Amino acid sequence: MNAMIEQFVQTLAAGLTAGSLYGLTCVGLAMIFGIMRVINFAQGDFMMVGMYLAVWIAARLGGVHVFGAAAPFIAAILVAPVLFMAGSLLHRLLISRTTGLRAVGLSGEGHQAQLILTLGVALILQNGALILMGSSPVSIVSKLSSRAWEIPLLIDEDSTLFLNQARTISALVSIGVAFLLFRLIRQTGIGKSLRAAADNPEAATYVGIDVTRAHRIAFGLGAAIAGVAGALMVLSTPAQPFVGTDFIIIMYAGVVLGGIGSITGAFWGGMVIGVVQQLSTLVLPLQLQNAMVFLVFVLILLFRPQGLFGRTVERA
Amino acid sequence: MLRLDQISVSYGGLRALSDVSLDVRAGELSAVVGPNGAGKSTLFKAISGTVPLQAGHIMFQGDDLHEIPAHRRAHMGIAHVPEGRRVFASLSVLENLEMGAATDAGRAGRVRSFERIFTLFPILAERRAQMAGTLSGGQQQMLAIGRALASCPKLLMLDEPSMGLSPVMADTIFDAIHQLRREGDITILLVEQRVTDALAQCDRATVLESGRVVLEGLASELSAARLRQAYLGV
Repeated sequence: MNAMIEQFVQTLAAGLTAGSLYGLTCVGLAMIFGIMRVINFAQGDFMMVGMYLAVWIAARLGGVHVFGAAAPFIAAILVAPVLFMAGSLLHRLLISRTTGLRAVGLSGEGHQAQLILTLGVALILQNGALILMGSSPVSIVSKLSSRAWEIPLLIDEDSTLFLNQARTISALVSIGVAFLLFRLIRQTGIGKSLRAAADNPEAATYVGIDVTRAHRIAFGLGAAIAGVAGALMVLSTPAQPFVGTDFIIIMYAGVVLGGIGSITGAFWGGMVIGVVQQLSTLVLPLQLQNAMVFLVFVLILLFRPQGLFGRTVERA
Repeated sequence: MLRLDQISVSYGGLRALSDVSLDVRAGELSAVVGPNGAGKSTLFKAISGTVPLQAGHIMFQGDDLHEIPAHRRAHMGIAHVPEGRRVFASLSVLENLEMGAATDAGRAGRVRSFERIFTLFPILAERRAQMAGTLSGGQQQMLAIGRALASCPKLLMLDEPSMGLSPVMADTIFDAIHQLRREGDITILLVEQRVTDALAQCDRATVLESGRVVLEGLASELSAARLRQAYLGV
């Protein structure tokens, strides 16, 4: 009995740490979708870029032996401004041609063009990475990855919870970043103007908001979040050019689960996926963990079609 | 204050406005009336810059608006209350007003303008923390007008403020417009289907039909007979 409890707690902890990271990736996607209504297929590949970038930065930082164990996390934070600028630039050059007020008159509000465009960006990033970085996986080697905190469970003498240090710190950083973002969106002037631009781009223009600029900020933020999540992920998942495709499905599931348009919901959607994925390994073979995720996904949507945090009541 | 000089607008080859000229004088209430599809909303969008001009010029306080992007025009003092209200549904009432007050003039005059808005529409003060999407249609219209007033505009453009409202609610909105006109510091341009109400209140009216000005003049001179002729062609 005690052994079972120990295993359950251990698996739950693994689910919560994985879920925090998934949650952050979902927040990035929800940011872009929620504010621009753009379905970004390249989101997983922004994550991949963040992974490679973090490996590169961490190697430079590790070389000087100043930052030691903190190097991967400092690298993750440094990835944010780089991806923010890259995302904003991509928006300025390409994405903005298919979004905003320019898209209002287009059929389907320009969604087809946006899909093809972001899919194209995804392919270029994947194959570009294949050319530049090769196909062999790389990761950050940190001594934290092989160290664990041992927490006694107090149910008997030798039951202990092992928390991998790298994963736990990654999870805490993810939660911190997601929290800062919620504060930014909910409470700052910039966040409010982003939400206004999301609610109604035309009316936002009439109160003096530059909707194109708001979208550029949202796209940059979304890319930056994907990058940071990737940088944190690379401590436990090696980077390779097509790693993004493994995660994009999970990201979409998380966003839909949380309720489309809700950034807070996206985080919890990702969290649910992480927890379900890990807990399913208790009763099912490892290969079926994603099957379980989608089973729960379908069940939740059957009973709550609007998602966990979706709004149903809204007058026109 | 606002002068439209022979402007034309097309949507994908379809003429929405042809050679429309209009003169809005400071401190007045001007009305634009006409049947559905006459181009009234397009006219407003051309002024606030969300549809491009094909020909002609729009001058606002002596500046040609041609090179000025839409969102900058709000900062110049043009406030557009769009058809169908378009409040920011997921923001609270107060946040909606704050968004309006984000213009340069709105920031400076915020205390006074909020006081004015809450005096005009006390219900907005009561519901300041409520999400705008959950307000009734009439309250949303009040909020949309309040949001525009929060920017301390020089020109207030109201596109069909009574649309979809109960007669009682529409009267409340018209009373508010009347009140604003009496205060006199804001020039108002009004598009309205309730022609009689609009004419009763305005100083000057323009009748649009199929994208052209068919009649214009002082409200007192526009007799019902001439209007009927313009509307129905009889």
